[in-house]
Amino acid sequence: MSNLLEVRNLSLKIGVQEILHDVSVSVPRGGIVAVLGANGVGKTSLMRCISGIYHATGGSILVDGEDITKLKSHEIAERGVLQAPEGRQIFSNMTVLENLVIGGGPLGKQELDHVLSLFPRLEERLKQQAGSMSGGEQQMLCIGRALMRKPKVLLLDEPSLGLAPKLVRFICDLVERIRSEGYSVLLVEQNVKAALRIAGRASVIEGGRIVIEGEADDLARDPRVTDAYLGGHVH
Amino acid sequence: MLDPYYLQQLTIGLSLGMIYALMAIGFTLIFGVLNVVNFAHGEIYTIGAFAGLLMIATFGPPLLAVLLVVMAVGALAGFGLERLAFKPFRRFSDEASMKSRAMREATLMSSLAMSIVARESLELIFGSQFQSVDLSYLINKQIQLGPVTIVNGDLIIFAVALVMFLGLQWLLKYSTIGLSIRAVSNNPLGARYCGINTDRTIILTFVIGSVMGALAGILVGLYYGAIYPSMGFTPGIKAFVAMVMGGLSSIPGAVISAMILGITESMATSVVSSVWADMVAYAFLLITLVFFPQGLFGARRERV
Repeated sequence: MSNLLEVRNLSLKIGVQEILHDVSVSVPRGGIVAVLGANGVGKTSLMRCISGIYHATGGSILVDGEDITKLKSHEIAERGVLQAPEGRQIFSNMTVLENLVIGGGPLGKQELDHVLSLFPRLEERLKQQAGSMSGGEQQMLCIGRALMRKPKVLLLDEPSLGLAPKLVRFICDLVERIRSEGYSVLLVEQNVKAALRIAGRASVIEGGRIVIEGEADDLARDPRVTDAYLGGHVH
Repeated sequence: MLDPYYLQQLTIGLSLGMIYALMAIGFTLIFGVLNVVNFAHGEIYTIGAFAGLLMIATFGPPLLAVLLVVMAVGALAGFGLERLAFKPFRRFSDEASMKSRAMREATLMSSLAMSIVARESLELIFGSQFQSVDLSYLINKQIQLGPVTIVNGDLIIFAVALVMFLGLQWLLKYSTIGLSIRAVSNNPLGARYCGINTDRTIILTFVIGSVMGALAGILVGLYYGAIYPSMGFTPGIKAFVAMVMGGLSSIPGAVISAMILGITESMATSVVSSVWADMVAYAFLLITLVFFPQGLFGARRERV
C-alpha cells in the first residue's frame, strides 16, 4: 500500500542557513511515525514545511500521491493535513467552542461530538476563554481543533512538551486511540521514550539530517539512540 | 428640569458622537485585525461621499440606491487599498513580522501616502471647494421633539450606526467570516494551521471596514450638505481619538468613546467658541495617553 504522506528529499534554507538537508519521511495509512531529536535540529521546521508555513527549497511533499509542496497553508489543510503545532497556537481570547468550530472549517459542528468524546475535559469548558485554561487543556484543545476537520494525516509537534507525566500518558493513549480509529499520525517529539512506545516507525534527526531510521522497537534497542536520548538504558 | 438649551446641545452631541462612531467602527476593526493604523480611512469616507455625489448628479436615483452604490464603491476602495498599501508589506507572514514595528511603520506611511494621492486626485478633478448637492437629497428636514429640534438625518445616522454596530457584533460572534477575522486577529499563525485563508480574511476585513467608512462619508455629506476633498480629515482624527480612548481594538469601547467625544464637544461650544471645540478631541487624546495608556475601559486588551 502506498504511503499517505510522503516527504521526499526535502531541504530548507532560510537565508544562508541550511535548516533541513535531504530529509525523507513517510507515513503509511493508519500508522504512527515519530521524528525524534533534540532542540533546534529542524523537527519543527519540517512540520512547518509540511503545513505550508515554510516553503521548502528542495524536494517534495506528497499527500495521497498529490504534490502539495508549493501549496498555501489553507490549501494543504483542505487536503486533509492538519497540525497541532508547537506552542499550541490556539486562539487565546476566544472560547473553547469557537476554537473548535474554526478548526472544523467547512465541517462546522459536525465533528464536535467526536472530538468532545475524546476530550471530556473540553466539554466542561466550552464557554471558557481558551487562554485561561491550563497547559494540558490547551494542548487538548490544540489537538482537538486539528481533529475537527477529520484529517487524513494528523501532525503533532511536541504534544508532550511541558506536560505532567500523567498528561503525557493521556496524550500517548489518545494518539493510539485515534490511530485505531483510522487516522495516520506524524509525531515530532523530544520525549523519545514516550514516542517510541506508540510509534510504528521512527527517524532520528540531527543537524537537519535524518541520521537513524527504522522500526520503533529496533530504535528503542539501538545503542546510538539509547545512549544519546534515553540516558543509556531503556525499560 | 434640564434647561432646553442643554437638552438641545446634548442632542446635537449625540448625533455628532454617532457620526464619529460610524467612522470609528471601521477604523477599529482594521486596527484590531492587523494591528496597523489605516491612515487612508478618512479618504475612504471622502470617496464614499463623492461616489454618492456623482450618483445623485448623474442619475438621481432614490436615496437607498445611492447608499448601495456607495457601499459597493467603498468595498472596491477597501480592496484596492489593501492590495496597494498593505499587501506588499505582508511578504513575511509569520506572526513576528506581521506584528513587527517595521510592518506597522511601513504601512502607516504607505496608507498615508495613499490617502494623500486620493485627496489630491479628488482636488485635481473636482477642485477643493464645497460641491453643490441636490437639496432634495439632504437629510436635514427638521423634526420637533418637545423642547428639542432634531433633523431626520439624526435618526437615519442613528439607525445606520446601530445596525452597523449590532450587525458587526453578530458577524464577529456567529458567522464563519467573523470567526475567521477574530482568529486572524488573535493569532495569525494559528489561523494558518487551522486552514484559514488569512490573505482573504484580511481583504474581507478591509472591505467591511471600508464599506462602513464610505457609508459614513455619504451620510455625513448629505447631513451637512458639505462634500469636499479634505472632508475626511477631521472625522478621521476623531475616529482615531475614539479608538485610542476605547483601548485601541475594542469596537464597543470605540463607540462609547465616540459618543463621549461628540457630547463633550457639543457641550463645550456653550462654554468656548465653536472653533475651539476641536481642542476637546486633542485634549482627550492627550489625557488618555498620559493617564490611561490602556484606554478608558480597563487594561484588558481584547482585540476586535
